[in-house]
Amino acid sequence: MSAFLARNRLIVLAYAGMVVLLLVTALFSPGFLSVSNMRSTVVLAAFVGIVALGQTFVIIGGGIDLSVPWVLNSAAIIMALLCGGQDLPLTWVMPLLLAGGAFIGLVNGVGVARFGVPPIIMTLATNVILQGLILVLTGGSPTPSAPALIQFLSVGRIGGFPVIALIWLALTLAATVLLSKAAFGRHLYALGTSATVAEFSGVPTARTTILTYVISGLTAAFAGMLLTGYSGQAYLGMGDAYLFTSIAAVAIGGASILGGSGHYLGTVAGAMVLTILTGLLPALNLSSGALLIVYGAVILLTVSIGSEAFAGLGGKLRRKEG
Amino acid sequence: MDLVTVTGLSKRYGGIVALSDATFSARAGEVHALLGENGAGKSTFIQILSGAVQHDGGSILVDGQDYRPVNPDAAQARGIAAVFQELSLVPDLSVEQNIWFRHEPRTWLGTVNRAEMRRKTLALLEKYNFPALRPDQELRRLTLAERQIVEIAKGLAKDPRILILDEATSALPAREAEWLLKLTRQLAAEGRLVIFISHRMAEVRAIADRLTIFRNGATVAAHEANAVSDTEIVTQMIGRHLDRLYPERVATATDRVALRVEGLSSGSRLSGVDFALREGEVLGVGGLQGHGQRELFQALFGASRASGAVKLWGKPVSINNPRQALTGRDGIALVPEDRRGQGLLLTKSVRENLTLSVIRRFTENGLLSRQKEAALVKEMVDFLRIKAGTPEQLAGTLSGGNQQKVIFGKMLLTQARVLLLYDPTRGVDVGTKGEIFQLMRDLAAKGYAILFHSSDMPELVHVADRVMVMRDGRVAATLEGDRISEAGILRAAMLEREAA
Repeated sequence: MSAFLARNRLIVLAYAGMVVLLLVTALFSPGFLSVSNMRSTVVLAAFVGIVALGQTFVIIGGGIDLSVPWVLNSAAIIMALLCGGQDLPLTWVMPLLLAGGAFIGLVNGVGVARFGVPPIIMTLATNVILQGLILVLTGGSPTPSAPALIQFLSVGRIGGFPVIALIWLALTLAATVLLSKAAFGRHLYALGTSATVAEFSGVPTARTTILTYVISGLTAAFAGMLLTGYSGQAYLGMGDAYLFTSIAAVAIGGASILGGSGHYLGTVAGAMVLTILTGLLPALNLSSGALLIVYGAVILLTVSIGSEAFAGLGGKLRRKEG
Repeated sequence: MDLVTVTGLSKRYGGIVALSDATFSARAGEVHALLGENGAGKSTFIQILSGAVQHDGGSILVDGQDYRPVNPDAAQARGIAAVFQELSLVPDLSVEQNIWFRHEPRTWLGTVNRAEMRRKTLALLEKYNFPALRPDQELRRLTLAERQIVEIAKGLAKDPRILILDEATSALPAREAEWLLKLTRQLAAEGRLVIFISHRMAEVRAIADRLTIFRNGATVAAHEANAVSDTEIVTQMIGRHLDRLYPERVATATDRVALRVEGLSSGSRLSGVDFALREGEVLGVGGLQGHGQRELFQALFGASRASGAVKLWGKPVSINNPRQALTGRDGIALVPEDRRGQGLLLTKSVRENLTLSVIRRFTENGLLSRQKEAALVKEMVDFLRIKAGTPEQLAGTLSGGNQQKVIFGKMLLTQARVLLLYDPTRGVDVGTKGEIFQLMRDLAAKGYAILFHSSDMPELVHVADRVMVMRDGRVAATLEGDRISEAGILRAAMLEREAA
């Protein structure tokens, strides 16, 4: 465990930052640490965290997924349309939409890994195409309200714990196993560190890349359905905020935006930090515009800390022969 | 008077002493070689001289005045430039843009004066008789060797009084290395001081006026080059007497063919290669650089496309990517040319590097078994005597020789019994070189089949059972027994027709 901490100094920092931020927020807004408020903070953070799960895999692998907003939004809207407020259709709609999200991820991954399209272009393009498709599909009209079952998943509780927090916990465990305990994780870190070395070492680089985008498509679609339950309805533009927050959570969580390092456990802290910030800023009487400015500044700060660590390592490499 | 005088120089990184006591003096107009194993302190020494790092103790005098550069620019201002092994070039810029990077000639408007830059580039290339380099060529299209030459031009563009060459010949093919040696003599004749690091004794012998030997972070001796024998130098470098660099060559080849290649072709660089590599054999691949050796190794490993028939242990195979190459007991493994760019994850641990190719073997029900992994890593670290603090040490912080050992370990952990070694001793210290040759012979004795390319001809002559000489993408000759000699290899590589 201590070896893990030593190697993941940035993740530890993210948790330290989260605690500090919690205490500061509590200072300005005394009710913040109450059970009910912490509960709603965790629920909000869970949405960010679930979208950022796939993003974490993609970024560790050296890519980026800009298609999450409209994968999320598409899943939300199509679910609402297909279910029409009924629970029963969920039994086939949910698997269908998860498969749909995975398919979009597959398209992204194949474009990047097999056809060499730069990840930014590839995922930006799918994002815009999905946006267009949904606009055509809905004609801009509002969708029916969310099925009760999905509402239970996003706002319900089991023994005092929000259901979505339990889902998030389970996903965190799964992601941790994949990253730390499976061959896939080792391949992924190698790929993000150097695609050439990975290829020369026999790592299935294309398959690994594609899988990261598939995971990202899955988590974005899943988050879209849950978010519909939370809002009670699906609406156009509901995924837009998650592009920036999903990437920000990964970066704050200590992953290098260039790939090869980081862990989902860091992203969890990143999602919490971002959500606490959204609670702190209103308490400071800051506008939502100011919130965006602070978001941006936080990203800039954490990424530059990350790259400083990178530069330090560069120095170590240069002096290798002592 | 001495141009440079160094006394008691030291440098620590945290708890690690990189340089404890370096003493050095050199005159203008001489070629001064620095010798020592990797990790002996040579690199730290020249990094201090070139302003890349700052020393903790001791003093440096240049022209009798105190010298303590805070960065490479400050060093250049005092007339000191360095050409490092790790290249500092920008792939997206052209040759000339790289040569004059941050020192571009300007117009009165402050913009880059392209005409002047071109003129100065051509003048520089001509003055020092550079091998064919086109000033407008994009750097990313150049080979490692060509980039090294650009790096040298970049150093010379600063018109330094002291030029430091850190293993500049190690990436160069024979003819270009020859040119570089002439160049160093020319620079010395112009009254410059050339500080020269090389692991090749013959080169040092050919050009150095004096030499300084490093061991364990300190200088142990300085000699006039013509007053000291090779044996004395090696003994002082390693602190003990090294019996011999090359192991005894015992014939271990069987009649069984491990790798048979027929009509292997790839683009214009590889045009119909035929050969058979036998079990227990070390087959050398020689010839002038750029005659298809690289393409041959890459094609066999599946790293580039090729046509032709390849049989492994008698079975026809079609290898389209390295993963297929590495799979199974009929596999084929590669020690690649570019250790840092193709072989190692520099920012990952020795452990992760060693097991990367075979990580699936350590999984049970899909989960990694750290114990199993740790046990095999320890076994390999011990077997190869990899000098790392712990298996968790980052590969990029190891010395060149130890990095190469990690790559060997990674290859040996696969089940492949056909090994492709592309210049495995490049930039490796003499002690580790000896270990690598011994390892190659030991593996051959165990039934491995080894295809071995080296840019250092004596290695082929002394280690390989047979040497296949390539010319124009074909096998020009295969030398056996007494016919294996440097002269024989060169004859086959250069003469149009070898009576064979």
